[in-house]
Amino acid sequence: MGNKQTIFTDEQLDAYQDCTFFTRKEILRLHGRYHELAPHLVPMDYTNDPDCKLPLALIVNMPELKENPFCSRIVESFSEDGFGNLSFNEFVDMFSVLSEMAPRELKAIYAFKIYDFNVDNYLCKEDLEKTLNRLTKEELTPEEVQLVCEKAIEEADLDGDSKLSYADFENMITRAPDFLSTFHIRI
Amino acid sequence: MSSEPQRRGSREAYDYDEGNGYPSEQHALRLRWVSSRASNQSYPQHDLSSTPAEENEEGDSGPPRDLRAIPLPMALKRAVRQVQQMQVPVVSSRQSWRRKRTKSLHELKEKARESLYFFTLWRKSLQKIGGNFGGGVQSYFLFLRFLVVLNFVSFLLIAGFVLIPSIVFRSAGTSLINSTGPDECKVYDPNSQGLVEFYKYFLDLLSGTGFMEYSYLFYGYYSNTMVENRNVSYNIPLAYLFTAIFYFVFCLICIIARMGTTARVAVATGGSAVGNYSVIVFTGWDYGCQGDRATKLKQKNVHYRLQVDLEEESRKKRAAALTLCQKIALYSLRVFMCFVAFGLIIAAFYGIFVATNFSQTKSGEEGILGLFFEYLPSIVITTGNFVVPLLCDQIALLERYTPSTTVIVALLRAVFLRLVSLGVLLFTLWDQITCKGDIDSHDCKLCQYNYKVHPCWETRVGQEMYKLTMFDLLVNIALLVLVEFPRRMVVDNWSSKLAQWVGRQEFVVSTNVLGLVYGQTVVWTGALFCPLLPLINTIKFVLLFYFRKVTLFYNCRPALKTFRSTTSTFFFLVVLTFGWCLATAVMIYSLAEIRPSMGCGPFRFFPSMWSIVPTSFYRLSTITQDFLFFIGSQAFSIPLFALSCVVMCYFIALASVYGKSVALLRAQLKLEGRDKQFLVKQIEKLSRQHQILKHTAGAYE
Repeated sequence: MGNKQTIFTDEQLDAYQDCTFFTRKEILRLHGRYHELAPHLVPMDYTNDPDCKLPLALIVNMPELKENPFCSRIVESFSEDGFGNLSFNEFVDMFSVLSEMAPRELKAIYAFKIYDFNVDNYLCKEDLEKTLNRLTKEELTPEEVQLVCEKAIEEADLDGDSKLSYADFENMITRAPDFLSTFHIRI
Repeated sequence: MSSEPQRRGSREAYDYDEGNGYPSEQHALRLRWVSSRASNQSYPQHDLSSTPAEENEEGDSGPPRDLRAIPLPMALKRAVRQVQQMQVPVVSSRQSWRRKRTKSLHELKEKARESLYFFTLWRKSLQKIGGNFGGGVQSYFLFLRFLVVLNFVSFLLIAGFVLIPSIVFRSAGTSLINSTGPDECKVYDPNSQGLVEFYKYFLDLLSGTGFMEYSYLFYGYYSNTMVENRNVSYNIPLAYLFTAIFYFVFCLICIIARMGTTARVAVATGGSAVGNYSVIVFTGWDYGCQGDRATKLKQKNVHYRLQVDLEEESRKKRAAALTLCQKIALYSLRVFMCFVAFGLIIAAFYGIFVATNFSQTKSGEEGILGLFFEYLPSIVITTGNFVVPLLCDQIALLERYTPSTTVIVALLRAVFLRLVSLGVLLFTLWDQITCKGDIDSHDCKLCQYNYKVHPCWETRVGQEMYKLTMFDLLVNIALLVLVEFPRRMVVDNWSSKLAQWVGRQEFVVSTNVLGLVYGQTVVWTGALFCPLLPLINTIKFVLLFYFRKVTLFYNCRPALKTFRSTTSTFFFLVVLTFGWCLATAVMIYSLAEIRPSMGCGPFRFFPSMWSIVPTSFYRLSTITQDFLFFIGSQAFSIPLFALSCVVMCYFIALASVYGKSVALLRAQLKLEGRDKQFLVKQIEKLSRQHQILKHTAGAYE
């Protein structure tokens, strides 16, 4: 609101506002959070779009992500190189998709990417097993894990190839009433 | 239907992003689908210069929203945005004006939302609660916040239209109707005590008698005057009546509006009884969960839910495998247990009836004993509300329903118990006031209500509701101090088997919500007779919020059995509507049937509370009277009724059409998958045949 910040140009802030679900204040706050992850690496002046990427290990130290069992997968899905190195653009993008105003379709696309551990565009049984183990911290017996994975695929698989494509996943997500509220990180 | 192109657009976006995987077969099928439907959608591969359907409808607000929802990396999005901005679309001046207007409206909405966000009550606390204990517990606190705001706004309404004019016009004004009726009925002397001991003030505060009785708190203090100066004319009794009616209507509108927003989500996801495992696996984890302890608990929670589902499966298999004999035994056991539960509930009702009558006979007592007798109905109700659900829970265990059904059955029984026990209390009061409905009996003949026992019966009813509210608050405080904190200290510091078995307390959402619904129903019932009750309830609920928050964070562990937040909010509001219906029934009955007290209140000397409306009606000008008569006449109301029937039929038809198209789309999705499988098999067969042909051709050469 008319404050004299020198981190971004006005044009950059407008671009961020149009491309994400955040307001100007929130974008500046996000920059503050990004900066405090690595104060010596991240420049305070972004007016000339510096090329600065933070590694995965630093990003998953954030309190919002630290305890999440899928933290590394989340960061990898939003990074361009697939290894979890996030620039500020990708950082903002990540939290924009995970904010409460992102629509269901957008969240479903990224949720599919997160749960696709072997990045083959399908959620196969191994992907589900890994998801389940991370969810329950391996407290289920192997037989129970097998049973739950089989049942989950059986319920959601529409085209009968015993793995979930994006269409199956999205169809299943539309029937989950809590998806929007659970796939949401407050920052 | 506009969701369909968007979905397809998003699927294409995914194609564009990864560029491998499933596109080719999908592409072939998509072409087939496009040609088979006479659709006007073109599916550009991210050709954002050609406008998607949305932008044509919404003007310039289209592109910003579209950009944000595209799953491209940020750098690409910014590039696209630059391209968009560089293109200057050729539009007429009218269109550009419309675009500017929608853009400024959009910005205004965003600013308003930002400022409202700042003013939202308890935002940070609710976030913390949701992060640590999950959506189910958070929904309880959201419901509590909704009730606080509702009560506060109602209080402002009542203060503005009834309380402040009463205070201002206290001494001015003329009586609306001349006093008629026998003199014994008009005797009402609440301040007859003279010198009073100090502790009696405290007792009076708790029970609404003594110095509190003849005050703005209760109905009896308001005057039946009408002020008519040169500039201003204000009819206090009419204002009182209309404010009460409008308060009820306003509360109903708020509840329905809130139900609408939650119902939309519940309907869109279509019940979702199917697909439990996949839903739990993919949406079970709450990404907003923070903190080490909360994470561990969340993991245990997911584990528990999966186990519950697996157990339900095995239970269903066992139930299907029951022989006929065993089935009959099970069902007869269930019916018997149902009767037992009802028997317990009816015993509780009888207890309330007896207690209220006993309390009335002992109403002259002094001191602590007198206070105890005053509070006897509240004590019996609270004990019943505590003990009977516990017993019903044990009964439900014996009935061996599936876990989800058990929760619902227990909840319904508890709701029934609470609301009907309140109804029994009111019935007992009615009994006393109208001499069991017999107007011509000895006590009620003179004034048509029992003037000896209740010289001002409205105040008496108001006092009962006030006592219920205060007692509820006191019980909550007492439980917090005497039960919850000590329990935690015992469990934490004394490591014995008994302490571990008892364990830390669980925050059971359903019981707490029922307590809120009960409290709100009491306030609605008493609002006509105790106008300041919404304010007292606001303060009570605010205190309750902080008490519950403290107990949640210090004494509770999260419940393993979760409450789904979206469907449960809808359920809370439905139960609240039941309470509203009970209160409305009471209000309508008191307005129409019982004669107001002649010694007190704004409706004294009227034959019924409602009769002020016709009296004031005839004071209006002739034109207004004629207009209102016309609205009430058949010539207007029958066409109005017919029109509303038509509108309702239209909406029902629309809803069924949407439901059918959703089902149709789902079936089409399944068929598309099978088509794909079939085509893949055909391709394999053909390629195999091709290979065989090549081999045989090669062999011949």
